[in-house]
Amino acid sequence: MVDEALMSRDILVDDFLTIFVSSTLVLIFGGFYVGIYTAVKVKLLKQWTMPFAYLFWVLTAYCLYLMGSLMHVNELTAKALVVAAIGLLLLPHAVYYMQDHVHQENEH
Amino acid sequence: MANSYLKSESKKLATWYFTVAATLFGAQLLFGLVAAAQYVIPGFLFEILDFSVARMLHINALVVWMVFAMFGSVYWLLPDETGIETVGINLGKLLFWIFTAAVTVVVLVYIFIQVGAADETSIWFIHEGREYIEAPRWADLGITVVALGFVANLFMTGMKGNRSGIVTVLMADMIAFAGLYLTGMFYTDNITVDQFWWWWVIHLWVEATWEVFVGAIAAYGLITMIGAHRKVVEMWLWIEVTMLFGSGILGMGHHYFWIGTPEYWWEIGALFSALEPLPLVAMFIHVLYDWGKMQGEEDAKGQEISVITNKPAFTWFVLNAFGNFLGAGIWGFFHTLPQVNLYTHGTQFTSAHGHLAFFGAYATILVGMMYIAVQGKNGIKVLNNTKSTIWATSMIVGGVVGMTVALTIAGYSDVIISRAQMGATWAGYFDAQATTWLVQGMVWRLLMGVVTFVGFIFLAKDLLTIGKSANHVR
Repeated sequence: MVDEALMSRDILVDDFLTIFVSSTLVLIFGGFYVGIYTAVKVKLLKQWTMPFAYLFWVLTAYCLYLMGSLMHVNELTAKALVVAAIGLLLLPHAVYYMQDHVHQENEH
Repeated sequence: MANSYLKSESKKLATWYFTVAATLFGAQLLFGLVAAAQYVIPGFLFEILDFSVARMLHINALVVWMVFAMFGSVYWLLPDETGIETVGINLGKLLFWIFTAAVTVVVLVYIFIQVGAADETSIWFIHEGREYIEAPRWADLGITVVALGFVANLFMTGMKGNRSGIVTVLMADMIAFAGLYLTGMFYTDNITVDQFWWWWVIHLWVEATWEVFVGAIAAYGLITMIGAHRKVVEMWLWIEVTMLFGSGILGMGHHYFWIGTPEYWWEIGALFSALEPLPLVAMFIHVLYDWGKMQGEEDAKGQEISVITNKPAFTWFVLNAFGNFLGAGIWGFFHTLPQVNLYTHGTQFTSAHGHLAFFGAYATILVGMMYIAVQGKNGIKVLNNTKSTIWATSMIVGGVVGMTVALTIAGYSDVIISRAQMGATWAGYFDAQATTWLVQGMVWRLLMGVVTFVGFIFLAKDLLTIGKSANHVR
């Protein structure tokens, strides 16, 4: 059904539900990761909850892997998914770093 | 209502834009209900208002009411941000009437003429047949003049007055917004070439310029409603602009998968589509972060008062943060990669995504801006919720989420049967349409559409009457 340049083989009928659920969980877990990280940094949550943020990032990365595997993505798309996972890991760090600096400049 | 509290002509013009926007919002929902009913009762209004016409009115009204509300939002915030009256306000008023008259004529032609022969006359006077932007060419030219006039007003005001970060972003964004419309205006007899340019309007509007617009409006809202620090908010805005344009422009590749463009679009589309949810996550945090920070500062002073000065508007702004993340983010991401999009493209999944994304990302924040205008128009310091606010918000949100769930279930059945099992054949299409899941999904979508429409009636009532309620701080 498909060009081999796009995917190595068709998606199995039984795999569609897992693909849709795992891709949904990518953003839900990703949201939890970013949310917990931000909440700890602005002291809405205690510091000990931070490992849970990273746990959610691991789950996000796993869901991306699962989704990509079941879709039989080609090599480049697989790399794109890795970039997205790393981007999500770094995003709250970078944003918070800049946010904090601007806040300090603004308040002092 | 009298404009007794509005001293600025720009803000008065904004309220005109919001009034037409709200009216067209109602029309959008009404024609959506007709189209939804036709899925359940196929003979409903047959040869009077066919599905193709009802759908065209539904999605064109969607785009146009949002454009009206966006223009209104800019005219509303310009005096606050620049510190001066909008330059060229009389031109702005004239253009408003031209725009409103043109839209009225176009809608009447859509309803009463509907279709014409496949020739140039139809393209000029009936419609162009391009989804979402079907306006006939004469109206296209009129819209271009209106958009250029609007951009000119924005630029002249921005250059003369105080050019804040928000105004600077809007100046850049709106010139892109207006310029991109031109790419959907010319005719080619090659459907691939035509679609290639048409997507420049649709995708680069909704996933680039409109999202940036939302970022700018959210920034304005956070400053005016909770007193967020401008410097912090504007820094967020620049990050969002970078991320949105960085991922959104080439994210257009996900619309080029199957229209006859070269195969390298699969790779470009996959890479940038995978990155597109990131700015939506950032925008989601932005609102919650600033709210938490400002409320925390107030709590630290030992004062148990809310920092929010417009509760209905802020509710819609928070719904925007969630809705953008859910509708554009989650519902977009799960069918954006080409490997799975091959199966989901053009099914009810697309419809589910479209409903939640347009509502979550744009309708919510524009309704929020309407409440900000109501507050200013009535000279209210703290605008509180009324019963109608709560009914309107609950029913509209519940209705849209219900429609999305129903369409998602229908879409799943569509994907499995018509695409995965039967290989995108006509037989597969008709078998999928007959499944219980899809049929019941369409019934639930209609019911949830009715709930949304009733919620809209509460919203209209609330926007017209909330200013007179006694439970506000004046």
